[in-house]
Amino acid sequence: MSEPTVVASPDAGPPFANEPSVPSSKQPGLRAAWQIWTNRIFTMREDRFFLFLAVLIGVLSGLAVVCFRIAIEWTQIELLGSSISPSFPRVIFAPTLAGFAVALLVIYAFPRARGSGVNQTKSAVYVSNGYIPFNTVVGKFITCALAIGSGQSLGPEDPSLQMGAGIASLIGRRLRLSQEKVRLIAPVGAAAGLAAAFNAPISAVLFVLEEVIGTWSAGVLGAIVLAAISSVVTMRAFLGPESMFRVPPFRVAKPADMLAYVALGVVGGLASLVFLKWLAYARPRIQSLPRWTEHFQPAAAGLLIGIIGIRLPQVMGAGYPFIDQAMHGQFTWKLLLALAALKILATGFSFLSGTPGGMFAPSLFIGAMLGGAVGAIEQHFFPALPGTVGTFALVGMGTFFAGFLRTPITAVFMVIEVSGNYTAILPVMISSLIAYGISRSYIKVPLFDLLARQDGLVLPSVEERREQLILTVEDAMRVDAALVLEPGDQVTEGIKRLEGKESLLCFLRARPGEWNFIERSELQRLAADGSQTHTAAELRFKGPLPFVFRDMSLEEALHWAGDWPALPVLSRADLSKLEGLVTLDDILKAFRKVPVS
Amino acid sequence: MSSSANTIAVGRKSPRIYSREAVLFGCIILLVLFVLFTAAVSRLYHKSIHVLADSWFAQGEVSFRSGDIKSALTDYRNALVYSPDNTKFQFHLAQALAAAGRGDEGRSYLLNLLSESPGSGEVNLALARIAAHQGLTSEALRYYQGAIYGEWENDPIAMRWQERLELCEYLLDRGLERQAVPEIIALADNTPANDAEHLRIVGNLLLRAKLWNRALTAFRSLLSTDNPDEDALLGAGTSAFELSQYANALDYFERLPEKDRATPEIAEMYRTAQQIKDMDPFAGDLSREAKASKAAKALALATARLQECARQKGQSLATTPPQTQLQRAFADVRELAAGASWQSIAKHPETLDGVMGHAFEVENVATTVCGEPEGADRALWLLGRSRRVSAQ
Repeated sequence: MSEPTVVASPDAGPPFANEPSVPSSKQPGLRAAWQIWTNRIFTMREDRFFLFLAVLIGVLSGLAVVCFRIAIEWTQIELLGSSISPSFPRVIFAPTLAGFAVALLVIYAFPRARGSGVNQTKSAVYVSNGYIPFNTVVGKFITCALAIGSGQSLGPEDPSLQMGAGIASLIGRRLRLSQEKVRLIAPVGAAAGLAAAFNAPISAVLFVLEEVIGTWSAGVLGAIVLAAISSVVTMRAFLGPESMFRVPPFRVAKPADMLAYVALGVVGGLASLVFLKWLAYARPRIQSLPRWTEHFQPAAAGLLIGIIGIRLPQVMGAGYPFIDQAMHGQFTWKLLLALAALKILATGFSFLSGTPGGMFAPSLFIGAMLGGAVGAIEQHFFPALPGTVGTFALVGMGTFFAGFLRTPITAVFMVIEVSGNYTAILPVMISSLIAYGISRSYIKVPLFDLLARQDGLVLPSVEERREQLILTVEDAMRVDAALVLEPGDQVTEGIKRLEGKESLLCFLRARPGEWNFIERSELQRLAADGSQTHTAAELRFKGPLPFVFRDMSLEEALHWAGDWPALPVLSRADLSKLEGLVTLDDILKAFRKVPVS
Repeated sequence: MSSSANTIAVGRKSPRIYSREAVLFGCIILLVLFVLFTAAVSRLYHKSIHVLADSWFAQGEVSFRSGDIKSALTDYRNALVYSPDNTKFQFHLAQALAAAGRGDEGRSYLLNLLSESPGSGEVNLALARIAAHQGLTSEALRYYQGAIYGEWENDPIAMRWQERLELCEYLLDRGLERQAVPEIIALADNTPANDAEHLRIVGNLLLRAKLWNRALTAFRSLLSTDNPDEDALLGAGTSAFELSQYANALDYFERLPEKDRATPEIAEMYRTAQQIKDMDPFAGDLSREAKASKAAKALALATARLQECARQKGQSLATTPPQTQLQRAFADVRELAAGASWQSIAKHPETLDGVMGHAFEVENVATTVCGEPEGADRALWLLGRSRRVSAQ
């Protein structure tokens, strides 16, 4: 075996080889160690190097999120004071003035920091080949800390996701990874940022797969998981391992009790519909206002939120402490309903004004309040139900999240992770699916896709892609369309069986798993001398043919179909058994039958 | 490419190109610096957050102690914002919620704490108090038991004793004597014989639970300590009286200051004990004549009560043959009358028991028919009862 050849190009950076090169023994001390280390790193296979980078990105994103969360807290303490009930002037002036400052920053310094961050990351993956300028990360950090800390009704999760993606993008570019890897590295950072912000690695991974990438790509899954884990570990090292909410213990006693959660699913679904409809209706109208109004939109939103905050300061900011209070049954059902409704209003103001900040925390807040209200009302009328208000608040979070963001799997896991409580899984699955179903029935396009389309971007709809019909060989194959000959069969017999059946194709089964194609003309050629003794073994054939199974995707079959007249469809249990055949023409016909979305 | 694009490309400052090693090395350096920076920032953050949390908590404590529960609630909540997992803060918030009459809200915090430390005596106790306040007896009992057998940081023995006491009082207040008895007995058994303060409390509980024997023992122990007091004498006197140890009861009552004997209940017991002493012909230091005189008087008293009872019931005692209990008892007395004069009894002291037996029987019959007697009759009836008890 020849030694691996390493061809280095000064521009492309060192390529990846299978064996590390040995450093010169003359290089002493630190320099030698550095040489060994870099050799080891850079001579890794690229996929391993990518995993190494995922950890690095995870740690850096985790650190960034720690600083981000601290910045938000400090801003909040400085602007609104340390009490959960801020004084009147602070409630009015802090979000208004900070809103104005944020508008100036977004317009003049960080134009890409606008919005939640999810769509920006998605468009980076699909439009700009994974390119997110680092300036956006800095801008997102500053403007979001100011906006959320001053009481704008937004959350830190989506910005964290974008910051993580931005950090990853920067590293990928600086290391001059291949175009494909640079594009893939942004979601890796996104997962890391979201995981650290939520203290929920599984949800972050699922969200990025569900919403940003849209496919369960094995190539990137490992890196995403590694990045999410390393960012959460980093975050926990600095901010502690506690889950976001402390849920009072509860139990789900009987299957019939699930009916209560069905009701919650309906309410959550309808509420998410209202919110989505409002955003969909109001956003284009706000965007059509004269450009100079952008200077004042966040301030106006801040003022409106401040007015709400005079009576109900709970709606200001991310609102996590109040979710905790709702879970401990500290609000009456009327107050819970009022908080849910006003939070929808306040979040709408903030988001529509273009203030940078995320929708995750507000949707959790709204869900918790709605859930708590439903729980309190149900308990009032049906005191025998086992669930506490806290249980309903917890399940409500997932329910609204699933209906609003249309990521039901993420919603289920997120509830488990943020509460550290597995008991809620059944109720949250039921109510989330109901809310998701209601939301889907009345608004066809999910929130992030809708926002992208309003911005003139045609990003792939993950929901549509997820539900695309996957064609299998079974959809294209023909049965009873083949004549199978064994090597010992007489050629004349074969010709007899083919007579009058023009569509029949002929295969030679040499042994189980070895199938060959025989042209009709070849049979005629051999039989032309009139001899009755010719056997199929004497025929000239094409093969061995690649074979397919009926459950394989048509796209896989398409790889081979062009090179062969037909592909045998075999039984997985018995490779000598022919279940049918498929040709290129059959495959194309099957594809044409499927309606294009 | 268009010319304008070319111009842009030429005009743009091209990014400096570093080797991958340098970039990676830069990343590592940046990472280390970032870690150090984040560590410093987070240290500063945690410090300031702790200060805030502690100051809000301290403010809450002040508000709570001064009875301003509403402010205390806000302060505790503020403290929890900055230290959400602080169990002490959660516990105090729960207590403040309970004090504000919002037991359900307090309970949810406490249940959370209990799930983290199911053995916590403090949390169990707080839950028990909320349940007791809301009238959820079985829940209260469960949590009280949890508190008694739970973990206490400071002086667990004393805390357990205290919580059992609270449980006993709760049960007695709710009229659940049957459930209270084993707890009170356990409490008494766990009370040191030289602990006057606790003995007094236990003795009173035993009195409330009508565990007279144990109460007398407790009060006797209390009396033998260095600082016996009126409570001890009162308790001992009451339990001795209820145990029909009238001589002892009288002794304890007489040692009480005059003012303590003035309460109606004690005065009644004292008077009754005195009457019993006065009419008891069985006292050892009496002369034969005195005994006979007392026995004759007792029979006369009982006969008078019988007649009064018959009058109340509209029965004639002269009816022959006797039909009713009263008539039969009267007939027996009449039969005895000749030998029941004090002279006769003095002459034949062996008849003393028989005469007194008749007197007690007559009182019993009268009590059965007309209800419990009062005054001297009550004393005679009680004397008869105590004789029966001691005979058994």
